[in-house]
Amino acid sequence: MNDMVDLLKSIFKGTDARTLGENRLSVTTPRESVLAVLDYLKASGFYQLKSISCVDWIDDNEFELVYHVASLESPLHIMVKTRIDRGKPVFPTAMSIFKNAGIFEREMHELFGVMFEGNPDLNPLFLDNWKDIPPFRKDFDMRKYVKDTYDSIPSFEEYKWQKEN
Amino acid sequence: MAERELELIFGPQHLGMVGNLSISLNVEGDTILSARVKPGYLHRGFEKLMEYRNWIQNFPLVCRINMIESEPVEMVYAMAVEDLAGIEVPERAQYIRTMIQEMSRLSCHFTAAWAYTSILGFDTPAQWAMGDRDYLLDLFEDLTGARVYHIYNMPGGVRRDLPEGFEDKLLAFLDAVHNRLPDYNSTFFENRLFYERASGIGKISPEDAIEMGGTGQVLRGCGIKHDIRKLEPYAAYSDMDLEVPTREAGDAYSRVLVIRDEMVQSVSILKQCIEKMPPGKVYEKTPNPFKWKVPKGETYVRVESARGEFGLYLVSNGGNRPYRAHFKTPSFVHGLVILERLLKGANIADVGNIMLSLYVIAPEIDR
Amino acid sequence: MKNDKTTTRLKEAKGSVLTPFKAIKYLFQKPHTLRYPFETKEPSERYRGFHLNDWERCTGCGNCADICPNQAIDMVKIEEIEAKPGKRNERPRIDYGRCCFCGLCVDICPPGSLRLSRDYIHIDHSTDSFKYIAKDEKTEQESFVPVDNYSVLNASLAHRKVDYEGFVSDLEHCLFETERVQMPEVEADERKLSFMEQVIGYSREEARKEAERCLECKLCEEACPAHMKISDYIDAIYEDMPDESMRKILEDNPLPSICGRICTRHCEKVCSVGIRGESLAIRWLKRFAADSVRDYKEAVEQNVSKPTGKRVAVIGAGPSGLSLAYFLRLRGHDITVFDALPAGGGTMLIGPPLYRLPREAIERDVNNIASLGVEFMFNTKVGKDVMFKDLLDKYDAVFIGIGTSKSRSTGIKNADKCILALDFLKENKIGKGTKISKQVIVIGGGNVAMDVARVALRLQNMQCPNEETAIKTVSLEDWDIMPASEDEIQEAKEEGVQFNPAWGPEEVVLDDEGNIKGLLCKKVKSVFDENGRFAPTFYEDQKMLIEGDMIIEAIGQAPDFSFIPEELFKELKFTSRRKVDVDENGMTSIPKVFAGGDIVNTNLDAITAIADAKRAAQGIDNFLREEV
Repeated sequence: MNDMVDLLKSIFKGTDARTLGENRLSVTTPRESVLAVLDYLKASGFYQLKSISCVDWIDDNEFELVYHVASLESPLHIMVKTRIDRGKPVFPTAMSIFKNAGIFEREMHELFGVMFEGNPDLNPLFLDNWKDIPPFRKDFDMRKYVKDTYDSIPSFEEYKWQKEN
Repeated sequence: MAERELELIFGPQHLGMVGNLSISLNVEGDTILSARVKPGYLHRGFEKLMEYRNWIQNFPLVCRINMIESEPVEMVYAMAVEDLAGIEVPERAQYIRTMIQEMSRLSCHFTAAWAYTSILGFDTPAQWAMGDRDYLLDLFEDLTGARVYHIYNMPGGVRRDLPEGFEDKLLAFLDAVHNRLPDYNSTFFENRLFYERASGIGKISPEDAIEMGGTGQVLRGCGIKHDIRKLEPYAAYSDMDLEVPTREAGDAYSRVLVIRDEMVQSVSILKQCIEKMPPGKVYEKTPNPFKWKVPKGETYVRVESARGEFGLYLVSNGGNRPYRAHFKTPSFVHGLVILERLLKGANIADVGNIMLSLYVIAPEIDR
Repeated sequence: MKNDKTTTRLKEAKGSVLTPFKAIKYLFQKPHTLRYPFETKEPSERYRGFHLNDWERCTGCGNCADICPNQAIDMVKIEEIEAKPGKRNERPRIDYGRCCFCGLCVDICPPGSLRLSRDYIHIDHSTDSFKYIAKDEKTEQESFVPVDNYSVLNASLAHRKVDYEGFVSDLEHCLFETERVQMPEVEADERKLSFMEQVIGYSREEARKEAERCLECKLCEEACPAHMKISDYIDAIYEDMPDESMRKILEDNPLPSICGRICTRHCEKVCSVGIRGESLAIRWLKRFAADSVRDYKEAVEQNVSKPTGKRVAVIGAGPSGLSLAYFLRLRGHDITVFDALPAGGGTMLIGPPLYRLPREAIERDVNNIASLGVEFMFNTKVGKDVMFKDLLDKYDAVFIGIGTSKSRSTGIKNADKCILALDFLKENKIGKGTKISKQVIVIGGGNVAMDVARVALRLQNMQCPNEETAIKTVSLEDWDIMPASEDEIQEAKEEGVQFNPAWGPEEVVLDDEGNIKGLLCKKVKSVFDENGRFAPTFYEDQKMLIEGDMIIEAIGQAPDFSFIPEELFKELKFTSRRKVDVDENGMTSIPKVFAGGDIVNTNLDAITAIADAKRAAQGIDNFLREEV
């Protein structure tokens, strides 16, 4: 695993790789080199894309995209991470490298609002007629939304008062 | 759209649908031209809800992601928190976790047997499967206090030790299952009708399966020996004698037979667990939940659930709540990518057949 | 274990169509299903059903309400229960529309009173009964259905089954830590040879680990006489911010270094974790915070308000006097503190021995108060160097915090040859020291007697190290009612003090030259009479002579009111327990004169004195502002 760390650092400028315990590698790269790193990893034998996650770092004003790649023969699991701007989150799609990337990008688009250029199908997946900001962002207050949209259950004293009047 | 093309909604309310999922089919006659899966009826926003509760309060929430098999979800969350906080789990707790994972796998396969056999029209083995599963739920009730949502794993071990007489009851149940398997075989798995219905249906090649991100039976049904319990052993699996069953054909028939072989494996692993269980304590205390702050970091852990690889990407920013939890569920890929691909060119009658041989469970897609 | 190969290799799927018909044999077997409700299945022993709560053990701490992930539990006030420190009159009410039966509330309950039963069925016409105040109805037999008449149908309409406990709390698997981080202390063999401080103190990791155990239920804050914000300052220690911790402590208690060493810990007695485990080491955490912050002024902003021009005189620089000076000074008044001793601290300066309360600790707190601008007049005895009447004329308000500075004497024959406890302790703390003799007898069974005995033992080890020495105590009280605290008695025993409980002193026996030879004692029959008043009775025929050449009397202390002139003293009202009577503002029956401390309260410890001072500070402040 350490050779992989050194290889990545030497080939791609600005890339930093760290091991997180056994069998986990975390690779942080600037946004320009992400697709190149993914391509390189696929060629080195990590040919399955497990998932794409997104983390909202609201204090840094950035989104962090994480690509989870692994192979079926080795237990090593690599997370390729990059940061993109939160105000205008745009990123090129990874569908050219991994065929099933489209569905994960569709989920991240709906829940966080990240636009993936080149993905032909970014229709909403879970939510119907959603008018608010993308719900998994940190500035979306879920409890306030529930209180405003649905009638909250009245407390016991309120309920008794309603019954008596 | 050609003249004879119709759009058919194989909707959430349908006798052939198990779970709340809607598939919009473009059909011409009896053949499906294209399919589009529309999930979202069960989206409860778990990953967002988890950010509002502290680490221990999340356990009653997390087990509800998947009603049928709630154990792997609890275990993967407990493992992720232990990884971030650096907690060591006692050995006896690892064996108990292995045991309860296998019991859960067996219970989920019984449900798969029920769903698949009843969708093909074989009601008798369906009722048998549900009936046998009930005894397993009784065993869960003895061990954890609840039948479906166990809330039994905690970071640091498990919540209570095995009760008196539990091993004997479990062994009696396993012997009963072992004796029933010939009946299941003769009514369903060796039945000519099942072979005719399922062979050649939903065929996928190994390269496509890997490329589309399949795991679990989808890979094992194509002949690829892949099992996380052997690749990256967690809990006490490194001690267990485990064989990975595979079939070659890659169609619905092989996938269902792989499920059946795994049931036999589970019985064997459970017997080994009972034999090899070490003594000791089962819980290593963590700081109290009002104050516990897990150090900053991120981790990805995975387990082999009944349907494939179940993973969790957990990020902590040093507080007393998770910062981001993202679940990687097997049904997300199987149901949204592989299913759409396999339904092209299939018959309408085979929609349920293919969907359940991939073992797509709707709540896992939506979370 | 090998796989059973026969069942894995399936036969070719070309069997006959008749093989499925083998299933017919199941037609004649017993079905799995139960004819509910006539046949039922017993829930398992650990089933998680409805709640039970034992109201005798429940303290109303509210931890169950805090941990519930669905906010299903509320704490409601129950009028019939009487509230006392450590037991609130609130009990949990569970909303079964929200409860998910996870059992986390059971695992966090500190007394273990909340349990889950094996009942899970409830039917009612209205939804009101689904918000249920959990009770342990073992005593209310009417609401239970008798065992022989029990059926699920009956129970769901009537109520629960008796003795049907399911998921209960278990100390090994609960969610809080029952064992305390032990405070490192010097061993008895080493510490009895000198006056080194016995307690070494927590390190940063130990303090953090101890602070992690706090369940934030705040029962301790109610029990503390000064209502310190204990939960907040423990949290600040956990977050590794001792400055913030000191800020919270100084809001209610200006003497953290002193209290962190000698406080009587009302808080630890009611700590939730201490009900079934060891309570939080709150006093040691306060000590850690005070020791971590070298200079209080650098760490905490203590702003003195605009000067009001009012002057207050404080008599006595003990805990109540010092605290009053601190609180009033922060409000901008001019304070002058008079004390007969050469430094601040009052009884704390001369009483607690150096191995418990070193002088640096007292100096740190007193210097902090002095640095705010409080004027201290030491070596000034009111009634001799300054007259009480002058204070009343020159100052706008006077506070009396004189404490109990006179030791009492038994008054037995030749008692004038004995040494009084406070004189002995004072001589060895700020005086020249006593030349100790080899056989010392201490009369008394309270904390002061223990202090005297242990100081005398150290003096013996230091002054006559290789000779045979003994310290013996004689007390009226037997082990079960000995007033000293348990740790003091335990530590004294470890160091080698010999006890003689239930013996009463009768006479000091002198030898021919008039030196003490021993103490003649008689066996005690009882100490208190049937009304609880102090009236000891003896067996006159059982006597014992205890040998010794020095006797120290440590039987109690009394206040010295001699500085108050006769005509004012007549106006001073006392309560039935012979304490000075004060109203809710701390004012005595003499106008402009306030009081607090040991002369007012019956707890006789430092923290209650500080609480009195806090109350009086508010009262004096209001009084001075009205006077405008």
